[in-house]
Amino acid sequence: MVKEIERAGLPVVHICTVVPISLTVGANRIVPAIAIPHPLGNPQLSPEEEKALRRKLVEKALKALTTEVTDQTVFED
Amino acid sequence: MRLELGNVLIKDVQFSDTTKLEEGVLSINKQELIDILMEDEHLKKVEVDIAKPGEKVRITPVKDVIEPRVKVDGPGGIFPGILSKVDTVGSGKTNVLKGCAVMTTGKIVGFQEGIVDMSGPGADYTPFSKLINIVLVCEPVDGLKQHEHEKAVRLAGFKAAKYLGETARNIIPDEVKVYEVDTFTDGLKKYPNLPRVGYVQMLQTQGLLHDTYVYGVDAKQIIPTIMYPTESMDGAIVSGNCVSACDKNTTYHHLNNPVIEDLLKVHGKELNFVGVIITNENVYLADKERSSNMTAKLAEYLGLDAVIISQEGFGNPDTDLIMNCKKIEAKGIKTVIITDEYAGRDGASQSLADADKSADAVVTAGNANEVITLPPMDKVIGSLEYVDIIAGGFDGSLAKDGFITVEIQAITGATNEIGFSNLTAKTF
Repeated sequence: MVKEIERAGLPVVHICTVVPISLTVGANRIVPAIAIPHPLGNPQLSPEEEKALRRKLVEKALKALTTEVTDQTVFED
Repeated sequence: MRLELGNVLIKDVQFSDTTKLEEGVLSINKQELIDILMEDEHLKKVEVDIAKPGEKVRITPVKDVIEPRVKVDGPGGIFPGILSKVDTVGSGKTNVLKGCAVMTTGKIVGFQEGIVDMSGPGADYTPFSKLINIVLVCEPVDGLKQHEHEKAVRLAGFKAAKYLGETARNIIPDEVKVYEVDTFTDGLKKYPNLPRVGYVQMLQTQGLLHDTYVYGVDAKQIIPTIMYPTESMDGAIVSGNCVSACDKNTTYHHLNNPVIEDLLKVHGKELNFVGVIITNENVYLADKERSSNMTAKLAEYLGLDAVIISQEGFGNPDTDLIMNCKKIEAKGIKTVIITDEYAGRDGASQSLADADKSADAVVTAGNANEVITLPPMDKVIGSLEYVDIIAGGFDGSLAKDGFITVEIQAITGATNEIGFSNLTAKTF
């Protein structure tokens, strides 16, 4: 899906836990997620902490989306 | 270290007034067994049934399969850290009730529990159709949470296997197999010219009912470690897996791991089997990185020339498999990986979720997406009501005429990745 949307001319950020698979399938902008059963959250945190975590992930993804890349890039902290 | 496995060949299993083993016939006092299992307050009801090879019987949803064994000499007892004290096992003498198994079923816990047919085309896909199965139908008390339910049924299986294993304590086995394993330095001295081979066994530990226990420890929490090949023969590793029927390792598989048995057969002759490195398949990327770093480090530390890596399950564990392979190969150590495939019903899709050039020696246990139609059986132990929702099943799997059409991933042990089956796949 990442590749098909990019082929249509839209940049894509792939937020995913297993970064190596994302690299193998050819995503260009990758933001590491939390864990496979809960990629965009963490049930061990309080609701407030979890909201902050989620916001951070989305902001990081938006930043990645607006960053020029020349090669496959993993946006670490 | 030396372990003698004494196989007592089981010719028949029957219900009787007393539980005993005589001339290969296992008699079971059903009520006594039920009473032992019902001591667990999490279980509302337990029924016991017997299913024999060739019978028109279907067992589903199957959770675990366990071979009854008893430790007759040497340290520890069966299932250390769970039912016995946490002594290190794998030496001395163990008697085995060969030809039968305890099988657990009852209300579904996880959506990937399996089907075992005792006859018909489905029987060819599971090794457990060739055993006389003592089937426990366990029903949990109302409102029991999923994880507690899984644990209660898991323990019921072990307790029943231990109870039945006891009958072989004073029996002279029909055949004795001797497994000799060496310490690191002894192996080095005894076999200086033989290639040093290790076995990396990946254990399913994704949580959410995909778990494995090592000496009672949840293997999610282990850092990869080294074990003697014989330890798992005494139940040091057990399944807590209610998922992935075709390619999970049941406790029976762990007790009878063919990779270990085959390597021990040629140990000291063709190669030096240095040891088993166990590792996990966790859901955090950092865990995957850490564990695969550790397996590569241990393989290097043991001075291995070659390693066999077996996977358990599919999907994201494909990444753990490839990480192990890549990192071990990077140390200059040759690897062979054992896996299975999800290549679509036509076999045309990519088989694994991850890949790497260093994975150039692959043994496959078959394509789990292959579709099979299972004819109706005269008797069902457990319940057919879950057939549409188990993995490999789909809406409409169970037809009105009783025929079941499923992918073979629904059949327990069909594409087992330690090779405990006869299935494979070919590239055309």
